[in-house]
Amino acid sequence: MLILTLAPSSLLAAEPLVVYSGRAERLIKPVLDVFTKETNIPVQLLTGSSTQLVNRLEAEGPHTPADVYLTNDAGTLERAHELRLLKPLQIEGIEQMVPQAFRAADNSWIGLSGRVWIIVYNTSMINPEQITSILDLANPKWKGKLAIPNAGSEYLQAGVSVISAVQGETITEAFLKGIRDNAENSVYGQSSQIVDAVAKGKVGLGLVNHYYIYRYLADHPKAPIAPLLTDQKKGEMGLIMNATGIGVLTHTKRLKEAKSLVQFLISRTGQQMFSERNKEYPIRPTVKADPALPPRKSFRVAQVPLARLAELREPTMLLIERSGLR
Amino acid sequence: MTARSWRQGFFSPLSLFALTIACTLAFPLFYVGYSAFSAKGAVWQRLWSTRIPELLFNTVTLAIGVGATTLIIGVALAWFVTRYDFWGRRVWEWAIVLPLAIPSYVLAYIYTYLLETGGFIEQGWQWMMGAEARIFSPYSFGGAWLVMTLNTFPYIYLLARAALQNVNLSFEEAAQALGATRWQTLTRVSLPLIRPSLVAGLFLVTLYVVSDFGAVSLLRFQTFTYAIYQQMTSRYDYAAASILSLLLVVFAFLFLIAERWFRQRSRFFQTGGHIRMKSPKPCGMLPTLLLTAFMLMVFGAAFGIPVFLLIHWTWAAWNVGEMGSGFLSYIWNSAMLSGTAASIAIVVGTPLAFLASRYPTRFNLLYLQGAYTGYVLPGPVAALALLTLFTQNLPFLYGTALVLILAYLIHFLPAGLQAMESAIQQVNPNIEEAARSLGRHALSSFWQVTFPLVRGGFIVAWILMFLQAMKELPATLLLRPVGFDTLSVRIWLEASEELYQLAAPPALLIILITLPVVLLLTKKNWQTT
Repeated sequence: MLILTLAPSSLLAAEPLVVYSGRAERLIKPVLDVFTKETNIPVQLLTGSSTQLVNRLEAEGPHTPADVYLTNDAGTLERAHELRLLKPLQIEGIEQMVPQAFRAADNSWIGLSGRVWIIVYNTSMINPEQITSILDLANPKWKGKLAIPNAGSEYLQAGVSVISAVQGETITEAFLKGIRDNAENSVYGQSSQIVDAVAKGKVGLGLVNHYYIYRYLADHPKAPIAPLLTDQKKGEMGLIMNATGIGVLTHTKRLKEAKSLVQFLISRTGQQMFSERNKEYPIRPTVKADPALPPRKSFRVAQVPLARLAELREPTMLLIERSGLR
Repeated sequence: MTARSWRQGFFSPLSLFALTIACTLAFPLFYVGYSAFSAKGAVWQRLWSTRIPELLFNTVTLAIGVGATTLIIGVALAWFVTRYDFWGRRVWEWAIVLPLAIPSYVLAYIYTYLLETGGFIEQGWQWMMGAEARIFSPYSFGGAWLVMTLNTFPYIYLLARAALQNVNLSFEEAAQALGATRWQTLTRVSLPLIRPSLVAGLFLVTLYVVSDFGAVSLLRFQTFTYAIYQQMTSRYDYAAASILSLLLVVFAFLFLIAERWFRQRSRFFQTGGHIRMKSPKPCGMLPTLLLTAFMLMVFGAAFGIPVFLLIHWTWAAWNVGEMGSGFLSYIWNSAMLSGTAASIAIVVGTPLAFLASRYPTRFNLLYLQGAYTGYVLPGPVAALALLTLFTQNLPFLYGTALVLILAYLIHFLPAGLQAMESAIQQVNPNIEEAARSLGRHALSSFWQVTFPLVRGGFIVAWILMFLQAMKELPATLLLRPVGFDTLSVRIWLEASEELYQLAAPPALLIILITLPVVLLLTKKNWQTT
């Protein structure tokens, strides 16, 4: 047994497809199980944080056991692309199925679902008309009434990147300092904690990924929380949308199987399952989102190509550090 | 060259072996040093002006705070159970060690749950103090202090208790015969006598506090390890993480040197005569009540309440049918890995500890210090260094459990070395020299004379390393072979998704598996066997 575990993992099983996933096991495993059932291709999953996995892939280089990289931040996918870790894919009809902004220029990564970084508010504490832009959260009148994610959160980093791409660094820095002061000690590691704090009235406002609101409402249908769709007026930037996506690694020896996983996830059934489990927006505009969500056509999103998130990461991190977010 | 100088010299087989081990153990440090110094000056400057003063202050104050409280709690507990006879003493004697079985990140989570706004404890507090009363946030110095103290005081307790049982009774009797009170006997006679053990305990606690990653991450308290982890998980290069790691190692090194200096000054051997067990003083009703209340409070906070909650959550998960499968393989993976790592550590640690205790030349001490660096080098960074080493140079071994075992060795050997070294130091070298003068070869004198005397200390070392390896997280996360999950990885995966009911079963299992091992620690007084 000792020898078995010491042996390289490639010798162990009947060559499963190895997926590195930045997405929680609970959300992705059921979908992969269906894939295995339909195609007879066994899958082995290794989950971790998106950024750490891309760093790991870089260090592993050609020796990586992984065939596929699946993650919840388009910036890290683009980073993997820049490091030439991902293989450009030829999939028929992909241009029609997935909008340009949600895939790499050479299709080396492909978006699977969309998530909106949004304000959640307590409906019995806050009058939603007082906030029309995400930037309003920096207003001192919300002091002690706001919950924010901590500086290590990938959502926060992606959100800040989009804001600074549209509004410039000066406005973004003022915004960050404002929300830092307003949040005081309400800095959380998880979006679900923020939603919980808002629902219980510890704070009135929070910054989260939209699906946490619906996940919470599914368990507590009477919770006084709702999303605030900001920045929708003409000339305003729109909501901040990031994508989960998938790429096939350059060094894979199982290109055919890896490609069939991508095709499965982008197919109608795959899309439905993948986005429904987490209440995200399917990347294919023709696949309907969960009826509990505001329809995708009812709001506008910021026009910052997700591929830019990679190059924006370092300046964004400096900005976040300079503003004193922790 | 005489035989003796050959044995002690740089080129003796033993020294070469020690050198090889020390180099392997220090490899991650070289790697971190290299990447820190190849970082741009701007990165250094940025860290220096924005982060380092705060991190340094937080880390040092946390270490001092935890050191002070664990010292007080640990010594008090040890003094009570060795010097007083009260109802339940035999049970408390081992029950107090149980908190060692709880991983720091599990305890941290439980306290975030207990101390949250509007939580349990706050409601109780408001019931007493009025609706506006607030308790401190767990996401603060106070939270980290509390959790770390509750997690580490048994180290001090164990070492203090063993030492107090070993103190030659005549000293305390002489003091009391001369009219000293019990308090005076404790502070003027017993405590100074057990000082080496207390220093060793404080050393363990401090290194634990500065290197722990799980608790500070969950409590989001900005110490070096947490900042390093944040830098590693949010940046695409490791320059900042390497610089912070290197600084942490430098500070720890200064601390190590101070500790060693202190220990040199206060080295004791048991002088002749036999050691009689002190018979504890029987207690009346009131002292028994007070002592029991104190024991209950410490035990409840560090073990009772957390385990109760875990059982409660596991039960809830069981009832909704959400218990995952595959627990048998997680248990096997955890136990096999930790057991192998601890056993290898004993084998490779022996020459280091032996050389440093018996022939404390500059080189031999340097090897030992080299080995200690692994303990403070933050887990995620050390793991990354190994990942790079293996993928670049030994790709055929990459992705095997071997890499993980090496990571455990690097990280936990120091904890074992500490125990092994003090065990060897307690053996009077005269005994070995007697064996040698009777014609025994060095190796056989160690095996036949020294080893039986230090066996107890070595078992303690094995247990300490096994325990910590079972609970290890960052290196396991990064280096585990694909499809090879351990209990700690399962806890983390579920807990980081906030699925605490699902994180509870593996947490409970870790505790259950480590309990018997922890109990071994208390079963006898290993130091003297």
